[in-house]
Amino acid sequence: MMSDTGSGKSAAGGEGKPDLGRRWVNLLLGTGIISTIAAFIYPAIRYVIPPPVSESTNLSVVAAKVAELKTNSAKVFRFGSEPAILIRAADGQYRAFTAVCTHLGCTVQYRPDLHEIWCPCHNGTYDLQGRNISGPPPRPLAQFQVHIQGEDIVVVRNA
Amino acid sequence: MRIMKRSSNINRRARGCVIIVAVMLWALNAVAAAPPKDSCIACHSTLPGQYGQPAKLFSADIHHQVGLSCADCHGGDRNDDSMNAMSPSKGFRGAPTKAQIPEFCGRCHSDPSYMRKFNPGLRTDQVSEYLTSVHGKRLKQGDSKVAVCVDCHSVHNIRAPSDPRAPVYPTNVAETCARCHADANYMKGYRIPTNQYALYKKSVHAAVLAGGDTSAPTCSTCHGNHGATPPGVSSVANVCGTCHAMNEQLFEKSPHGAAFAKMGLPGCVQCHSNHEIVKPADSWVGTDPKSLCLTCHVKGDNGYAAAQAIGGGLDKLKAAYHDADAVLDTAERSGMEVSSARVELSSAHSDLIKARVAVHSFNAADVLKITNQGVDTSHKAYEAGIAALHERNYRRKGLAIALIAIVIAISGLYFKIRQMERST
Repeated sequence: MMSDTGSGKSAAGGEGKPDLGRRWVNLLLGTGIISTIAAFIYPAIRYVIPPPVSESTNLSVVAAKVAELKTNSAKVFRFGSEPAILIRAADGQYRAFTAVCTHLGCTVQYRPDLHEIWCPCHNGTYDLQGRNISGPPPRPLAQFQVHIQGEDIVVVRNA
Repeated sequence: MRIMKRSSNINRRARGCVIIVAVMLWALNAVAAAPPKDSCIACHSTLPGQYGQPAKLFSADIHHQVGLSCADCHGGDRNDDSMNAMSPSKGFRGAPTKAQIPEFCGRCHSDPSYMRKFNPGLRTDQVSEYLTSVHGKRLKQGDSKVAVCVDCHSVHNIRAPSDPRAPVYPTNVAETCARCHADANYMKGYRIPTNQYALYKKSVHAAVLAGGDTSAPTCSTCHGNHGATPPGVSSVANVCGTCHAMNEQLFEKSPHGAAFAKMGLPGCVQCHSNHEIVKPADSWVGTDPKSLCLTCHVKGDNGYAAAQAIGGGLDKLKAAYHDADAVLDTAERSGMEVSSARVELSSAHSDLIKARVAVHSFNAADVLKITNQGVDTSHKAYEAGIAALHERNYRRKGLAIALIAIVIAISGLYFKIRQMERST
């Protein structure tokens, strides 16, 4: 009985214009498929042309270029969500440490006149091995590995 | 046959020689390994009470570990088993009186050429320094209750100061001093407080020391160890300044530096107390009812105006920093990458710490220069956090739209299939 009624409606529709129900279904399906395709394509386009959001640098980062740092100088750079410091000592050796002072969390600096790492907040000092040598810092600075890869100075967090 | 017998005799002789040599070597080794004879220990370790106790404790003593014996301090002959070992003719000095103890220990510890044999880096001025201390001066005046070497270092089981079990190891110093100085009965007559230890235990210094930083201050850091004496009013800032150098320099140059000296006020201690040095709060500065500035300054004077400006600057920076921190926290919890803003905000954190140090200049312009810089940085970090949250909301909306599109597509497919089923 139901089948008859259904096939009758379908036959009526098939003779002239498609009936209202069929048009709605086609519209629903078409809109759904097009929107879904758009929902897949849009993120792909955003991936190819990314928005201005900074890149995560949690494990390793290009801290500087080789030509950028003179001997007896340093650069504070972003490593993950914390500042870190890359030092090129007077002997030309590169060393990298967290730049967060172990006393109250201020950002440390390199003092070329003293050849030491210095915290401007409470006059704490660390040697070039990161060891706390005077002032209030209670612990040494965490050290990172430094690798030279071509022109890049790559700093890697210790495993 | 004869050759074989001869060979057998040679073998027997050789075996005999090997056994004799082995026995001789064993005997030599046993003699070499045996501890040197010490009649003091041998006899005293069998005695009860005060005569036996030193011999029983001595094996844990650093002097025993470097090869010294009872006779090296007390004199006598350790190789003599008779009572004659303790004869004055054998150099026996016996136990010193309390007043003799500093000189008794100083016989070796004040002799650089002797001490060099054991520890070339060890100081040899402890006794002369001790004689400048309150303890040493009172001992000279005949006060036998004051501390001498053994009261702090213990006796007969003396450990190196670097040994965590030593009573003078940094984490044990306060308890060692408190044995006398926190005992109201013992200290009766000296007219000094006995609550220093209880107050010190509440201090930020004690908390840091208990947290494992053995360089954190304990009694001897401020009072000295062998030359222990209370820092005078004029030297308090110098003592604090050995660690808090920038605070001290700013304070000395500030209007308070000269004014406190003129009034005879003890510098740092006036605001921070001496033993109960708790973590300072920003509310100490400003015109809040808790402010220490209001102890001396009243509305209308220059100090009040400076306190108001400094307190306001600190409050503004703290508020801006906390707002930015909260926004970045929310963004991080939402999975947004805001590490760049975090690094920027760490600079504002440094400014807040620097401003708290700059407070010791009591110069509002200097403090506000730092706090304003921190506020600007915090605002930038805040804006970055807000932008990250906008991006998060944008992505959430995109996800919702995509899900709706998928639901519409699935619904369309469902109805289309039903329609096709009906038409067949």
